[in-house]
Amino acid sequence: MPFISKILKKERLSGFLERLVRDRQVFAPVKKGEVILIREIDSPSQVILEYRNAKESPKSVFFPQRETLFRYRAEKGKAEVDVPSGAGKGRVLFGIRPCDARGLLLLDKVFGGGSSDPYYTDKRSSMVVVSLGCVDPNPSCFCLSMGGGPCSAEGSDLLLLDLGDRYIAQAESEKGVALLEDQAFEKSDEKSLSLAEKTRKQAEASMQPVAKKANLEQELERLFSDPVWKDLAESCLSCGICTYLCPTCHCFDLCDEASGQAGERIRVWDSCQFPLFTQQASGFNPRPTVKERFRQRIMHKLSYLPKSQSMTGCVGCGRCVTECPVNLDIREVMVSLSEGNER
Amino acid sequence: MQQLTDEIRAIARKLLRDKQVDVVIGFERGSMPLRRRPCFVRKEEDADRLVWDGWCENTLATYLPKRKEKAAIVAKGCDSRAVVELIKEKQVQRDQIIVIGVPCRGMIDRAQVEASVAPARIAQAEEDPDFEETLRRTGSLHDCCKTCAHPNPVLYDVLAGEPLPQKVQDPFADIEAFNTMKPEERWAYLSREVEKCIRCYACRNACPLCYCPECFVDASLPQWVGKSVDASDTMIFHLMRAYHLAGRCVSCGACERACPVGVDIGKLNRMLLKEVRDLFGYEAGLGLDEKSPMATFRLDDPESFIVNP
Amino acid sequence: MVCDSGSLGVRRMADSGKWEPKIVAFLCNWCSYAGADLAGTSRIQYPPNVRIIRVPCSGRVNPFFILSSLQKGVDGVLVSGCHPGECHYLTGNYSARRKFALLKSLLEFVGVEEGRVQFSWVSASEGVRFAKLVEKVTNKVRALGPAKRLVKTPPQGVVHAAAHR
Repeated sequence: MPFISKILKKERLSGFLERLVRDRQVFAPVKKGEVILIREIDSPSQVILEYRNAKESPKSVFFPQRETLFRYRAEKGKAEVDVPSGAGKGRVLFGIRPCDARGLLLLDKVFGGGSSDPYYTDKRSSMVVVSLGCVDPNPSCFCLSMGGGPCSAEGSDLLLLDLGDRYIAQAESEKGVALLEDQAFEKSDEKSLSLAEKTRKQAEASMQPVAKKANLEQELERLFSDPVWKDLAESCLSCGICTYLCPTCHCFDLCDEASGQAGERIRVWDSCQFPLFTQQASGFNPRPTVKERFRQRIMHKLSYLPKSQSMTGCVGCGRCVTECPVNLDIREVMVSLSEGNER
Repeated sequence: MQQLTDEIRAIARKLLRDKQVDVVIGFERGSMPLRRRPCFVRKEEDADRLVWDGWCENTLATYLPKRKEKAAIVAKGCDSRAVVELIKEKQVQRDQIIVIGVPCRGMIDRAQVEASVAPARIAQAEEDPDFEETLRRTGSLHDCCKTCAHPNPVLYDVLAGEPLPQKVQDPFADIEAFNTMKPEERWAYLSREVEKCIRCYACRNACPLCYCPECFVDASLPQWVGKSVDASDTMIFHLMRAYHLAGRCVSCGACERACPVGVDIGKLNRMLLKEVRDLFGYEAGLGLDEKSPMATFRLDDPESFIVNP
Repeated sequence: MVCDSGSLGVRRMADSGKWEPKIVAFLCNWCSYAGADLAGTSRIQYPPNVRIIRVPCSGRVNPFFILSSLQKGVDGVLVSGCHPGECHYLTGNYSARRKFALLKSLLEFVGVEEGRVQFSWVSASEGVRFAKLVEKVTNKVRALGPAKRLVKTPPQGVVHAAAHR
């Protein structure tokens, strides 16, 4: 993939978005009340780009909280089953952060791969991802420590970086190159390229590294029965916010909602943090307390997923840290478990 | 505030040293500026982790049900009222807990403070009760703290600090104002609020009075309410959670603070508190001997709502 | 038994296309259901819009019954029990009275139109009263129009901001 970058002057952004909205569905950060969320837009004026990060991750664009898998209707002894049709025109996910784009790669492995999930892959394959690099990361961000970075292009088709009066746009795929054909983009120059590099280095330098051991994911298996988990998890409320807002969490439940002789099977988000997540029909629950559930989440993200999918389950977006009502901090957990290596 | 912190630490040390309790549940500094979080202190030397200030917003009473050990709990007014309700509902035994009561001047709303300095970010903050330059403390309180009528714990074994003057104010002025809107306007407002909900159940889990092992949302035979973010199901979830808390909610605000997307949950909860007060003359958490309103009745209960053909 | 038919005129079956309200009535077995039965045996005419569900006591009515009915698109809900003091189970209707007072206030607060969900007391001997009650409730619900709030969109369409096409 040859390195192609162009310049997008800020005053031209609106025109670019107008043309995108005309031909495709565009999803971008918008303000809903006090909160920034990723939603479909119909006008560039709705887009907010001066923002830290959206409350919810963009996973809900591909893996919504509620998805109809099929509908059925039974009449006179016959049943009709009807699967919703796929995404129509092309789609663009605009202005998300690099951590979230990287998170999509993990979801691609889970929902793609051998037995792929058509509901996800259909939405994903028609989507072009345009991310906006972070010039000024939050104190709660730690993407760099998780193998990503504030200006990482992993998972993006096009990466934009704010250089003040203009963006520099770097294409990472054929889809990204195609977007750069738009009239809003002009040739880039050495000055912009070196400013971009400087910006990236500054952003990375501003981040506090997490003091975890390099081989933590190997060590975690050994630490499964360590008593430290009880202390780490004690204040957890099992509320599920961490999993719902996480860009890589993907557990779900299937429910049938019937109304007489018609109904639909839907998929809804579930959470390993919910107390009844592992409740068995016998009444036994292998994860009866917060300790087991909290440990499960950490192990899944930092140990099981890296083993099975060769990729970290945590992209360091920091949402679970800022939104946890009791300020449970996965970074502190990693540090604590790393120190535990000496135990 | 430092004085209260020192008092709480001293009380905790003594309780642990004398083995009166196995754990002291209080607050410690969090991992980010302006954050405090629940902590569980089991050793005397760890008592120095405990702090007390205007950011200690969590409702610690939520950690009491199903606890087997003897516990001391640092309780604000709202926490102590939740404890009273939990004792009445037999989720906690009175002699199993030691309540360290702390009169509370209200907890500050972090989001308001952060918004007022935005786009800059707060690197660190200390609280000074006399500091009035940038923000008035009273103006930055959480909504439920602004209308709180019970700053002093109603139940305690030991009190840290001095009782605060009781505020005389109408906690339901906003509910009355909302009631003057037309039904379609009220429906529109609440529908917009509920549309934000992602059904994470943080509100339910943060609530000290939501302790059911199987919540009504988990029931499948019959399924009372669907699990998805369908507009009707989500509205029913919020209506019925509020309804299940009627006469039990202590307006601690834990639900509103826990909500990641800012749904105005308090409106429904507090509306029912007003109804319970107006119809049955009851307020939650004030007396161990007062029977819960939905667990009892009077022969002369109001029935003006009954339709007579 | 003759009644002043002016006020209890027979409601004609719905002309095709003209909406008629569908009202679910939860009637307690011992009083209200018996009262409804008496209205029937006395041949008192009342609107056919009501679908009756018999429960042992008004206190058995779970608020979810009412909400589920509204979700399924019912236009009105009526709950009727024994008069206070006459409950077959002694105190069931007292509990019900408190529950329903709160539920009615809550539903009206959120904007469900006043008059959709109604509560009453009808005793076993009050056939006429039952018929009048149904007439009153049906007229009120008809005036309110079809229920739209709280109705769960049927399976054919899913409407929510969080679901993307």
